[in-house]
Amino acid sequence: MIARPWVLLGSAIVAGTLLAGDAVAQTPATRDAISSLRFDAIEFEPPTPDRYELEGVQILLLEDRSLPLVSMYARFNGGYGLFDRSWYAVAFGLPTLLRYGGTESMTPDSVDAALDYWAIQTSFGTGGGSISSTVNTLTEHLGTTMELWTDLLTRPRFDTAQIELWRLRELEGARRRLDDPGSLAFAEFNRLMYGDHPVGWEMEPADLTPERLTAERFREAHRRVLCRENLILGVTGDVSWAESRPLFERFIASVPPCAEPLPEDPEPDIRREPGVFVIERDLEQTVIVMAHPTSLNLADDPSYFAATIGNSILGGGGFSSRLLARVRTEEGFAYSASSLWTTPRRHDGLVGALTSTSPENAVPAVQLILTTMEELRDTAPSRAELRTAVDRVVNGFVFNFQTPGQIVSRLMLYLAEEMPEDWLERYVAGIQRVEPEHVRRVFAEHLRPGAMTILLVGDPARMGRSALESLGPVSVLDADRPRP
Amino acid sequence: MTRGRLLLLVALALAVTAAAVGRAAAQETLGERLPVRELTLDNGMRFLILERAGAPTVSFVVEVAVGGVHERLGTTGIAHLLEHLLFKGTTSIGTRDAERERALFARMDAVHDTVLHARASGDTAEVRQLLGRIDELEDSARVYVEPNELDRIFTEAGARGLNATTSSESTNYFVELPANRAELWFVLESDRMRDPVFREFYAERRVVLEERRMRVETSPAGLLYEAHLAAAFTVHPYGVPVVGYGSDLETLTRADVASYYRRYYGPNNAVVAVVGNVDADRIEAWARRYFGRLPRGEEPPPVLAREPRQIGERRVAIEWDAEPRLRIGWHVPSSLHPDAPALAILASVLTGGRNSRLHRRLVTDDRTATGVFASTGPGNRYPQLFQIDAVPRSPHGPAEVEEAIYEEIRRLAAEGPTAQELERVRNQVLAGNVRRLGSNLGLAFQLAASETLEGDWRATFRVGEQLQAVTPEEVRRVAAEYLTRSNRTVATLERRAAP
Repeated sequence: MIARPWVLLGSAIVAGTLLAGDAVAQTPATRDAISSLRFDAIEFEPPTPDRYELEGVQILLLEDRSLPLVSMYARFNGGYGLFDRSWYAVAFGLPTLLRYGGTESMTPDSVDAALDYWAIQTSFGTGGGSISSTVNTLTEHLGTTMELWTDLLTRPRFDTAQIELWRLRELEGARRRLDDPGSLAFAEFNRLMYGDHPVGWEMEPADLTPERLTAERFREAHRRVLCRENLILGVTGDVSWAESRPLFERFIASVPPCAEPLPEDPEPDIRREPGVFVIERDLEQTVIVMAHPTSLNLADDPSYFAATIGNSILGGGGFSSRLLARVRTEEGFAYSASSLWTTPRRHDGLVGALTSTSPENAVPAVQLILTTMEELRDTAPSRAELRTAVDRVVNGFVFNFQTPGQIVSRLMLYLAEEMPEDWLERYVAGIQRVEPEHVRRVFAEHLRPGAMTILLVGDPARMGRSALESLGPVSVLDADRPRP
Repeated sequence: MTRGRLLLLVALALAVTAAAVGRAAAQETLGERLPVRELTLDNGMRFLILERAGAPTVSFVVEVAVGGVHERLGTTGIAHLLEHLLFKGTTSIGTRDAERERALFARMDAVHDTVLHARASGDTAEVRQLLGRIDELEDSARVYVEPNELDRIFTEAGARGLNATTSSESTNYFVELPANRAELWFVLESDRMRDPVFREFYAERRVVLEERRMRVETSPAGLLYEAHLAAAFTVHPYGVPVVGYGSDLETLTRADVASYYRRYYGPNNAVVAVVGNVDADRIEAWARRYFGRLPRGEEPPPVLAREPRQIGERRVAIEWDAEPRLRIGWHVPSSLHPDAPALAILASVLTGGRNSRLHRRLVTDDRTATGVFASTGPGNRYPQLFQIDAVPRSPHGPAEVEEAIYEEIRRLAAEGPTAQELERVRNQVLAGNVRRLGSNLGLAFQLAASETLEGDWRATFRVGEQLQAVTPEEVRRVAAEYLTRSNRTVATLERRAAP
């Protein structure tokens, strides 16, 4: 009975909106307006860092006087990924303990108080292959800041109470990893694919025993990694070479030469067999991760560039890529859906996809992703799609130079990884040479939808057990290891 | 040895800080001195334009003064759904034939009206069948859709970060472009404000439901947050989730969204900030040319809901398959109230850094928690909450952590903070005054937010000065006045007991 007015009301309002649209439709159509736009050429000379060397350590400097701030950057090659499992927690926790563990001359509390007092910002982190730290300060406090930062990195105390605090926090983190379906899925997927390799490791109670986390072991890891041959330095902001040179001299004098070279990073033995795995959880949404290994590496090579552009077209390019357009825009299955293609410089990487959707749509979403992949193996993308992916990089080139910190960090990375210093320019040139057929070929060679290891975290009953079986034989994974 | 060295550091710091404070009092902050050009069009739309040296890029932020507080039970989530739909294009972008699309909209919307009644009568088979019919109609409309065209045009221009966010009282649309392509933004954004078409409506509603499942229904922190706000606010719409309740999202109609758009998206309800390596004269000319022709919109209705004074502690418990969490909120005035700076300092004294009182007590000394964080929210404009989130460390539970928090608050409310604690916070404020100017996009957000909230982009840069002026006694007083038992709502999440 009430249905009628609803329909009328609904139609009336929609019509109203569109009539308003008609009234202004006499102005030139927006597409015409866009194609008639003429853009000035960009006159821009990207700033280049100055290069210096002290005691064999490279230092990059990019002056920027716009604000009274200075940032310093240190990057040491060597991280948890280079050591055996018994060192995992120590090498992983090393940057945190450098920041919180005090120095030879200052207690952890004194360090906190001084950083707070001078409003100095620091960061300490590791990506598995290196340890990095940055410090940012008002120019007027640069001397004090540098003294403190030098001590933090080179004369650590590794206070045992702080080690214990960190240990307890990591144990709690390990418990809570099971709470979030996304982080659970990624951790278990890495373990499934990489097994006992640093990429597959997750912090477990066995890593976090007090015996493994002695101050002595932290000192040993510190000695192995934070030594001169592993170091690259950078500085940006309101400072000149003349002003920063004495500070760096002091810093480098505190970093001893390396006693021994770093170990080689271990070769992963990535799972190659296809498989369907389920971690059972009573959840309103299923997290889906899938991938298989590929042998494609980052290199100045047409296949690499075709793969980068291909990944952007498949699912790395947001709304302009096929996976998000189909899984989200067309089907409304998911808020996010993307592809992944890791291309380490050495060793194999992974190619695959991830999304989250309600359990009832989980299997249809997997099938849609696999079909989308299959199509790119069979048929080259259109020129228009290719252009979108290439133009994004080429026209957005200036975004690589937005802050001095971004420019210096990038060059530090290239130097540390022994990449060409002009890698960014080579990359932009390389992707402009990609043709649609190159993309098809690289997918045909490297992407095998039938070879995916697929992990689903969610409720298999609501996904439909027979639907799941249609993807392949299903194994149930038990992620509920005893809670620490 | 250690002590001597630190004392020296502190002595130096005092000297430097005193000099710095003297400067700050004598003149405006760096932020207030920014050469921002202000422009208000005849239709009421405001622009803030800031030319800056640096890489040739430009950041655009549009802030529309609409969000969760402008919703009613039954249509929760509409502001956020609308934000999604505004990426779907217009009568010229995103379509191959807007006329034919429109004809199909009317048909699917009519079916949807029937769905609502089938839902009410509990006829699930009928609901499924009708939803299938809507899907078919939407699929047939897709023949005329140029999917994600807005995104594609920006992407090809080299844009970065095209996105939007909806909060409880504002909605922001933002993107960065190479500076030479700034005019493209004016063409696309003015087209979107003039002429949006809410196409792919039903698919996008499902997307938002999935977003809700991700952010709330499968997230322990999200679940706790939603339950806490709902318990703390019984009248004011701050208690309503911005993403919307599932059953509301399932019933929102295209007509609801269109009418909401007309009410809240007039140019007079929007502020635009443009920051980057651009020519302010050209930006102003484009602003006039592209947005000047939009008609002034309706005057949005004010939010007059007022949360009654809370007259007794409220508690809400969530049971879930996850480790415990704790969230406490006390009603406090809006961010525009004279007590707001003292409350901000209070948050910093309690949990700002490792030397703060609660961090020291819970994380370092008692080791009953791994993290504790104080803030105000969920908005700024209306009376809000002073909230503390804590993550207990096993085997300690929320009760133990909660009691320790109250103990520290009682002590602070009795004795006030020390001069040293305030000094620490003040130095952070001084450095923050400079650091906040670092990124163009960040600045554009600050300018737009300050102009929207206070009608003055400079207001945000005066906050530092207000914080500097807060006395220990004021911090003590606000702790004693607001952080009381009868004024608080406590939410806990604990592991689901075995059945």
